[in-house]
Amino acid sequence: MATTFRILPVLENKKLGSYHKVTLTDREMYKSAACGNFIMIGFSMLDPYLPRPFALFEVSKETLSVLFKVTGKGTELLSEVKKGDSLKVLGPLGKKICPPDKGVLIAGGIGIAPIYYQTGFMKGGILFYGAKSKKDLISIREFKNRGFKVKTITEEKGGLVPDLVEKHKGELNGKQIFICGPLGMIKSIKSILTKEQIEKSYVYIEKIMGCGIGGCKSCAVKTTDGYKLVCTEGPVFPLNEVELD
Amino acid sequence: MIDLSVKLASLSLKNPILLASGVWDLPYTRIIDFGKLGGVICKGVSLKPKEGNPPPRIAETSCGIINSIGLENKGLEHFNKEVLPEITKLKTHIFINVFGETIEDFAMIASRIKDVAGLEVNISCPNIREGGDSFGKDPKMVFSITKAICNETELPIIVKLSPSASNIEETAQAAKEGGATAVTSSNTFPGLVIDIDRKKPLFKNIAGGLSGPAIKPLALYNVYKIKNAVDIPIIGSGGIANHKDVIEYLIAGASCVQLGSIIFNNPLAPIEILDNLSYWMKEKGYNNLRDIIKK
Repeated sequence: MATTFRILPVLENKKLGSYHKVTLTDREMYKSAACGNFIMIGFSMLDPYLPRPFALFEVSKETLSVLFKVTGKGTELLSEVKKGDSLKVLGPLGKKICPPDKGVLIAGGIGIAPIYYQTGFMKGGILFYGAKSKKDLISIREFKNRGFKVKTITEEKGGLVPDLVEKHKGELNGKQIFICGPLGMIKSIKSILTKEQIEKSYVYIEKIMGCGIGGCKSCAVKTTDGYKLVCTEGPVFPLNEVELD
Repeated sequence: MIDLSVKLASLSLKNPILLASGVWDLPYTRIIDFGKLGGVICKGVSLKPKEGNPPPRIAETSCGIINSIGLENKGLEHFNKEVLPEITKLKTHIFINVFGETIEDFAMIASRIKDVAGLEVNISCPNIREGGDSFGKDPKMVFSITKAICNETELPIIVKLSPSASNIEETAQAAKEGGATAVTSSNTFPGLVIDIDRKKPLFKNIAGGLSGPAIKPLALYNVYKIKNAVDIPIIGSGGIANHKDVIEYLIAGASCVQLGSIIFNNPLAPIEILDNLSYWMKEKGYNNLRDIIKK
């Protein structure tokens, strides 16, 4: 994997529902980016000091995009970038995963970002997808075009992703399952799934990172095999190996 | 031609920029040309594997970070077999940061590491319960550990001092008397982050180690104090973010410096700092670093 550090120009910053999609001009990422990869985006000042990890959302021969929700100082700054600004980018990072041609994807809220990227490496399957409101359900048409049967739920209509999973639990049998979303959602889903289903499930883990490349050992997550680093041994882990804390 | 070379005791470094222990690992060789650096210090190695502290292990502060990694490493045997052969391929001076929970641990590790430029003795990590900072605050302990190590190895010994010592001149003097070749001016500064939702310290170990530009004036002052009290080469460390910071450290009395967490902010910082140091010297009419520190 050719990880590089580059300063990339912002091509576009647009709102998608309550999220932001920032697109950078880049003709290198597509050559080496793989499913499961992420990038670190840094700022031109010392405060905020640390770069932030973002799942790849879209990568083309000319661009790369990230999709995010404003949750703090870093994402707020990133939500304000304009065409022509520059951002520090380190990547691609993380351990490559090889998803099956067809499988089950489960996303909650902004957890849709890496799930959407993953669908580019698959031929179809089922997507269970929930968000706060209908406007935050992103790229539904695109998922369908990629061969996915999409089942959605929104909080404003009184439902959560685990409710959706519970309702269609039988459809998950025998399939590989990939989950990304808030910790509470992941825990609830784990409690719903059968032992066999858990054994075929993988989860995207998010942690605060220092370097993103295995230097600082900050992003440790507890697993059945001791601490592992999310940046180099993840971000995707088998659901039954990782401790959800 | 600008000459950036410096002397660290008997060692000649091609320039004064070293990478500090704990911030880098081999994946960084994909981004940084290590051959351009004066040297690197590997992450702390202990006799036995150490799994590190429970997460969370890091938090951002204004212009810095606070960490509670807990010296995660796979132990000396793994290091000698798997890591050292790769690290020594880097075309720069290699120093190994070592730590122990007892004086005997330190001596044992020192006796079993060969073929490197020197050892950096970590008596100052604020993130472990046994040893670490509690050793670094006590001049008698600093002397005993340094002496025990020097009895076991011919390698140059650099003692990484604790900023928590009530009198850093005394611990620097103790390191010198124990046989140290040089001292690293200071480790991270102990600090606290409170999780306001849980109303508790963020880290399970309570305190963490603060680094980054936030600590530069404090760390720089340590260099100045040591320089004026003890005749021993000093490696300056703490909060260096640009070439002007390096010059400040050299003027304060450091022979060379370590870059740490700045490589998270900008992985190319070591190379950019070297370039900017040369430009600055050329602009000011300096041919070598010795001229800068002349009064």
